[in-house]
Amino acid sequence: MSKGFALYGRFRHVYVSPALVFVAVLLYLPFLWTAYLSFTTYDGLASPVFTGLDNYRRLFEDDALLTSVRNTLLWVVGTVVLPVGLGLLVAVLSYDLRRGSWFRLPFLLPYAMSGAGLGVIWGFILQPDGMANQILTFLGMPGGDTAFLQDGPRNTFAMIVVWTWQQLGVNMLLFVVGLQSIPKAPIEAARIDGASGWRLFRHVIWPLMRPITTVVFGLALVAGLKNFDIVWVMTQGGPGRSSETLAVTMYRDVFVADEYGYGSAVAVLLTTVTGLASYVYLRRQAGREEAR
Amino acid sequence: MLSSKRLRATALTLGALLIATGCGSGGGSGGSKSELKLYNDKGAWKPFFEQMGALGKQQTGLGMKPVGYTDEPTYTAFIKSSFRTNVKPDLFTWTTGGRLEEIVKQNQVADTSAIWTDAIASGDLSESLKKYYTVGGKQYCVPLNTAYWGMFYNKKVFAKYGLKPPTTWAELEKVATTLKSKGQVPFNQTTPTSLFSFAWFEQLLAGTDPDLYERLSTGQASYTDPAVVKVMERWKSMIDAGWFSDPGDKADPADHFKSGDAAMVISGTWFNTSMTQRGLKQGTDYGFFFIPNVEPSLPKTSLVFESGPLCSLRKAPDPEASTKYLKWWITPAAQEKWANARGDVSGNPKVKVADPELDKVTKQAAGPGNRLVLRYFEAAPAPVLTEALSGFDGFLNKPDTYMKVLQKIQKANEEYWKTHKAGS
Repeated sequence: MSKGFALYGRFRHVYVSPALVFVAVLLYLPFLWTAYLSFTTYDGLASPVFTGLDNYRRLFEDDALLTSVRNTLLWVVGTVVLPVGLGLLVAVLSYDLRRGSWFRLPFLLPYAMSGAGLGVIWGFILQPDGMANQILTFLGMPGGDTAFLQDGPRNTFAMIVVWTWQQLGVNMLLFVVGLQSIPKAPIEAARIDGASGWRLFRHVIWPLMRPITTVVFGLALVAGLKNFDIVWVMTQGGPGRSSETLAVTMYRDVFVADEYGYGSAVAVLLTTVTGLASYVYLRRQAGREEAR
Repeated sequence: MLSSKRLRATALTLGALLIATGCGSGGGSGGSKSELKLYNDKGAWKPFFEQMGALGKQQTGLGMKPVGYTDEPTYTAFIKSSFRTNVKPDLFTWTTGGRLEEIVKQNQVADTSAIWTDAIASGDLSESLKKYYTVGGKQYCVPLNTAYWGMFYNKKVFAKYGLKPPTTWAELEKVATTLKSKGQVPFNQTTPTSLFSFAWFEQLLAGTDPDLYERLSTGQASYTDPAVVKVMERWKSMIDAGWFSDPGDKADPADHFKSGDAAMVISGTWFNTSMTQRGLKQGTDYGFFFIPNVEPSLPKTSLVFESGPLCSLRKAPDPEASTKYLKWWITPAAQEKWANARGDVSGNPKVKVADPELDKVTKQAAGPGNRLVLRYFEAAPAPVLTEALSGFDGFLNKPDTYMKVLQKIQKANEEYWKTHKAGS
């Protein structure tokens, strides 16, 4: 072991500490403060008043929260199935094509847009006399007067489609990277053994892609759970709270209604659900990896 | 090794310096200031604030630089957090009603009672405005802006169908019926509906029972009161009659006036700014009338008004300079510039508004036949308002849900007044 490396080993905690302090001050401390606030009534000005489990009790009696949970689940399923599923499909269909990158480019371009910009543009496209309805009417198709964003849960479905439009490209890109990193030998061996098409994909390519699929599905799961910006810009969770997700409910309760205590309880619920879902998912994936 | 040590030492020194300067620059510098920062949630008004900054510098030697936010919740959170830190605004905009009371109770806002006493004596502020700036017998802040709510109407559409601005509720209904029969939607929604969905609720309720409207805002009445339910039923019947534009339309109503689609929209007089920015002229392209009471037997016409305060903090970086600026802000010279730049009315009754139509509105509003009622946005406490805005927005899309909407608002109302003193 070199002298420099030994020195590094001795002081490694010191080297890590600035980053640790940074994370602790900006993440863990605010989280603990939020957890404390969730047991209080607090308007952001006067001192918080401890109210025990009142906020949590209120959570389970609040039917707006039920709608919020339903929409969050729709987002989770939607973000895992659509942008990831379609991204995989485009990646598989295009990765060994000649000039495949040109084919993939249009799918990737929407990713360059910010969430807020995306929301504003699609908000106008999907409004009652917006482009979507105008196109349907022009083509003589039914549904030219669809209220895409005014009725729940249709507004959530519409926003998931918008999200898919933007996110498909980046998922596709990650899958292409995954596909390109697969060793060629097992695929060639499988081909010699007569595997092709769906069987080749299902039994050889898909298992070899596990490292990248774990990451992509994990990211999609978390993105679905914490979805906020697109909903806030397009509908602000409305009308009548019909398109709220847990993240929007949290923001609304804390910053719009000035109910910091109740909003913090929603934040704790969202963090717990996201943490648990990520943990269970990653444990399962790790378990499978070990089993292999 | 030595160079690596030197490198680390340099990095650490630089870091320490950065932290030290960062901490130092955040605090209030104290001393006498020659330029104040005015924090506001009216980002779109930046050019008007800048004009005021230049005028103030010229007239008092005290400059002003606006720091505009466009997202109201972010702005509110910033101002509230500034109370607990050393980064305090010199001046800031706020809202009257419960929110003003809230920050005054925290002993944060500078007392402006002396400014009000002098200004009322000199006629720069009206006595009728004073109560909206009074908490516990003292005045806080001064009016940043004042606006009256009424109906903007399209003069060309009215002329086309031979219509005149109504003076009674029955006449307004007749105008709406005529327009509808000609295929013209009578009322455009005040957008965004997520923010202004309360407009018709407050108008119908204040025009039916202004006392109930005021009691509702102070926790002394229920949202499920039969009279409130009746107001919602009236509103529903107007929606069912097809009198309103689609609530999903995101366009600014001024765009619909520009294209000639809109006949009427309910809004504050600040909507003039949106109209004039689109090249429309009051008196030629559009007009404005105060909405007659639904209940004709009421002794006075209920006139919804809003007044946004301009405040300074008790512990402002330079309290003297902030107070000097507030005193100047309400003078006729400052107010004339402020009102005319934006094309809106002024809180100073002495100010001559250049636009003759707007001047007429100001004089009409001050008439003895009117009863001012505070806009719902300021009158309702924040948690109740939030529930009401969502509820009314939902109701616009699904009018059958009105009872459920009222019940939800009432739940929030009860929740809020459980921990606050009703009637205050």
